[in-house]
Amino acid sequence: MTGGKEDILRGTLDLLVLKTLETLGPLHGYGIARRIEQVSEQLLHLNQGTLYPALLRLEQRGWISSKWGTSDNNRRARYYSLTKSGKKQLAREAESWERMVGVIARLLQGEAIIG
Amino acid sequence: MSWLKAVSARIVASVRGKRFEDNLAAEVQAHLEMLVDENVRRGMSPEDARYAALRSFGSVAQMREEYRDRRGLPMIETLGQDIRYALRQLRRSPGFAAVAILTLALGIGANTAIFSVVNTVLLRPLPYRDADRLVMVWGNDRAHGYDTDQVSPPDFQDWQAQNRVFESMAGSTDVTYTLTGVGDPEPITAYEYSAESFRVLGVPPLLGRTFAPEEDQDGRNHVVVLGYRLWQSRFGGDRGLVGRTITLNGAPYTVVGVMPQAFPDAVDQLWTPLVIPPEAVHDRNYRFLRVVARLKSGVTLQQAQIEMNTIAARLANAYPKTNKDEGVNIISMRQTKTGDIRAPLLVLLCAVGFVLLIACANVANLVLARAMARQREVAVRTALGASRSRLLSQLLTESALLGLAGGAIGLVIAYWATGALVAMFPPNIANLNIPRVDKIPIDGWVLGFALGVSLLTALIFGLVPALHVCGMSTYESLKDSGRSVSGTRQGRRFRSVLAVTEVWISLVLLAAAGLMLKSLVHLLRGDLGLNPDRVLSMRVMLPDSKYPKDTQQLAFGDQVLERIKSLPGVQSAGTVTFLPLSGWWGVRNVALESQKIPEQERPQVVWSSVTPDYFRAMNIPLLKGRYFADSDRAGSTAVTIISATLAKRVAPNVDPLGERLVVAGVKDPVEVVGVVGDVHQLGMTSNETAEVYLPFAQLPSPLMCFAIRTASDPVGLAKAAQKAIWAVDKDQALSYVMTMTQLASESLALQRVVAILLGILAAVALALAAIGLYGVISYSASQRTHEIGIRMALGASRSEVLRLVVLDGLKLTLLGIGIGLAVALALARLMSSLLYGVAPRDPSTLAGVAIVLALVALLASYIPARRAMRVDPMTALRYE
Repeated sequence: MTGGKEDILRGTLDLLVLKTLETLGPLHGYGIARRIEQVSEQLLHLNQGTLYPALLRLEQRGWISSKWGTSDNNRRARYYSLTKSGKKQLAREAESWERMVGVIARLLQGEAIIG
Repeated sequence: MSWLKAVSARIVASVRGKRFEDNLAAEVQAHLEMLVDENVRRGMSPEDARYAALRSFGSVAQMREEYRDRRGLPMIETLGQDIRYALRQLRRSPGFAAVAILTLALGIGANTAIFSVVNTVLLRPLPYRDADRLVMVWGNDRAHGYDTDQVSPPDFQDWQAQNRVFESMAGSTDVTYTLTGVGDPEPITAYEYSAESFRVLGVPPLLGRTFAPEEDQDGRNHVVVLGYRLWQSRFGGDRGLVGRTITLNGAPYTVVGVMPQAFPDAVDQLWTPLVIPPEAVHDRNYRFLRVVARLKSGVTLQQAQIEMNTIAARLANAYPKTNKDEGVNIISMRQTKTGDIRAPLLVLLCAVGFVLLIACANVANLVLARAMARQREVAVRTALGASRSRLLSQLLTESALLGLAGGAIGLVIAYWATGALVAMFPPNIANLNIPRVDKIPIDGWVLGFALGVSLLTALIFGLVPALHVCGMSTYESLKDSGRSVSGTRQGRRFRSVLAVTEVWISLVLLAAAGLMLKSLVHLLRGDLGLNPDRVLSMRVMLPDSKYPKDTQQLAFGDQVLERIKSLPGVQSAGTVTFLPLSGWWGVRNVALESQKIPEQERPQVVWSSVTPDYFRAMNIPLLKGRYFADSDRAGSTAVTIISATLAKRVAPNVDPLGERLVVAGVKDPVEVVGVVGDVHQLGMTSNETAEVYLPFAQLPSPLMCFAIRTASDPVGLAKAAQKAIWAVDKDQALSYVMTMTQLASESLALQRVVAILLGILAAVALALAAIGLYGVISYSASQRTHEIGIRMALGASRSEVLRLVVLDGLKLTLLGIGIGLAVALALARLMSSLLYGVAPRDPSTLAGVAIVLALVALLASYIPARRAMRVDPMTALRYE
């Protein structure tokens, strides 16, 4: 929105969360949000609050699980981790994402040539 | 499978909502604190850090809302919320709730009651295997227009041998037994069934067995299968009865089986094997079998009819003497069992449906008025972010609650009403195709129907107002005046449609009720040809075994009559073979001897043999000649008395007195000695009044009905009259001990019930429509208060204002009446089979109900108009 930040594309949040958990292991909501922002080098704008409904959805699907733990500076926090079926789901989503990116890239190139 | 997990997670969450809520709060808290820590580390002041954290987290409330929606079962949770809210709203306006619920209860109750009858009579499958393939196969006597003629054994055999459409066929015939040895002697109406009959119907016995093929021979036929009702009432449901003997007509019969309770029939109480008498085996004129058949799978009734027509034509060619005019008429079993109640039930079903529609319209009107009043509430909620669907579902929840409450009370009304509806099934009239119904149960289907109707009604009356309100622009509604122009116009159109609908529907109902009442009056006023007041009747069937000879039957009649006549309070007494109005009758061909008409072409007329005083007991007037006398005995000149209609038919140009009449089944021609008034033998709904009477002394019959005219109280005499019969023969059974008024009343029971019900429904409809119209007119008048004030300030007189408002109502009424008349004319066909002496499109009835409706509507709009007229212009102008 402001400062050239992009809103997160609908449906990609799941992928980002799953990938983050795969890379970093069990993590609390704040950690996930920070990681996504860091990796995107502040280009992606995340309303951090929207993360929680997404986490709930992933957990209801059985792709992630959660339990309460203690953070580095002794705060009680809920830690999320990837489940087996979550790993499979991540593979599926990553693949379909790459396909999508490929299609769009081809499309844009084609346009560029024609244009 | 993942959705399954998601659903179960949601269910768990719904149940343990509080803990999840707390967890989320803790989680968010932790998240925010970590953010604040981070910001502080970056050098912000604690306060700035806090604000920055909240900013990057976004709206906590929105997140929590989203989280909640996702977590539990939002549908169920919001439904619970909606219900609680709706209950609060309804409690806050008890007047509205009460009126709406009662209106709906009336409509739903009426529908449920009629549906419970339909359910009992028409929908419930007949208790036979594959009942839809069962048909009755009758003869069709074209010469005499008798389309349910019984069948002769040789014809039946040929049908069986030649057809390819029936899987199986069976013959039966009715018979009356006297059961003795258990309690008072009782006449039992029974059927002789061939061994095949039970198999065609496909119902196995409850106990024991049915008949074996070899039991249809005289001598081996003393076996009996009992009906459930008789088994219970006379033998206390004794399971050891099978194998024992009971006494029928003085002879022992071995009980071989008992049929289950569901095995039907008003009259069947027991069955004995069908024995074809030797003289009937080759006589094609000896028609006494009722034939039931099972269509082959896939064969339609029409195909069967075509096939049987061919066979009948073949038989007519081969045996012209007996079969020239004998066709075949196939009628489905269902039609046979319920034919006469179908049309009245369908008419009533339509009527209650219409009443429910009016009720819906009225409640919709109320709901709309309330919804308009709540416009601002709705607008505020929309502005605060309530989604349209959420608002809609909330308004509809309120309607559904009203509908369900109405349905619950409606069920109570229906339960009470079904007791009254049993009167539609007169138990003593034999010629109606109506099943015997003792009670009309409220079963699962009826409950389901009531629930469905309640919800459907709620949708009908709730949806339009709800859409209307939700569709209105928030801005307009929030404006202080609360008189958004678009909303009013739309609302007004909706109201007008409701009012017109109510008017046309009530016109249709009024027309139906009017026609039915007119028809009933015609039937009630009609002259039966006899005077049923203070006449006691009872029926006796002398068993063959005990009274094989004519003289014995004669002696029995004479002795009983002598005793009855000597009872105090008896004015006159006689016997008749077939009691008028009972639904039983017999026919014989007659013709004047001088006319030499071949037997097949002679008119078929109703006959009875009567004792001399029968005419006096029934008050049947003598028009010409004389009544029978005691001197008309066996051996004296054979005589007859004919009805006026028959006299006109057989001897239109000559004086019938002294003419000799040939009567089928009577050996010698009989001399006409009298002409009496016509009697509606089959009740006022039939016009069959060509009758021939023969003296009982010259043509005795084992079937005799006593008609006893009393000075005051026919019911009080019943005991003494029964004793008189038992004094002559202590084992003689008698039945149908009842007054002629009772019989006359029962013969019109169906007509009366339908007329009364339609009358009540039409009255309810009229009242609802008047209320609805009143509501619409007074609302629109109140909306126009300002306008009226201006008009009056500009010099309009009060009467002009009155006219203005009344005209509003009149326009709607006239439109409604126009539509109603068109619908009534279109639906007239539905009524035609129920009407006697009045055409289904009877113009005077239609005009009459239109005028009544117009007057009521005028009154309904006059009251609000008067109120508008009295408006003080100054107040009205300030009214804003």
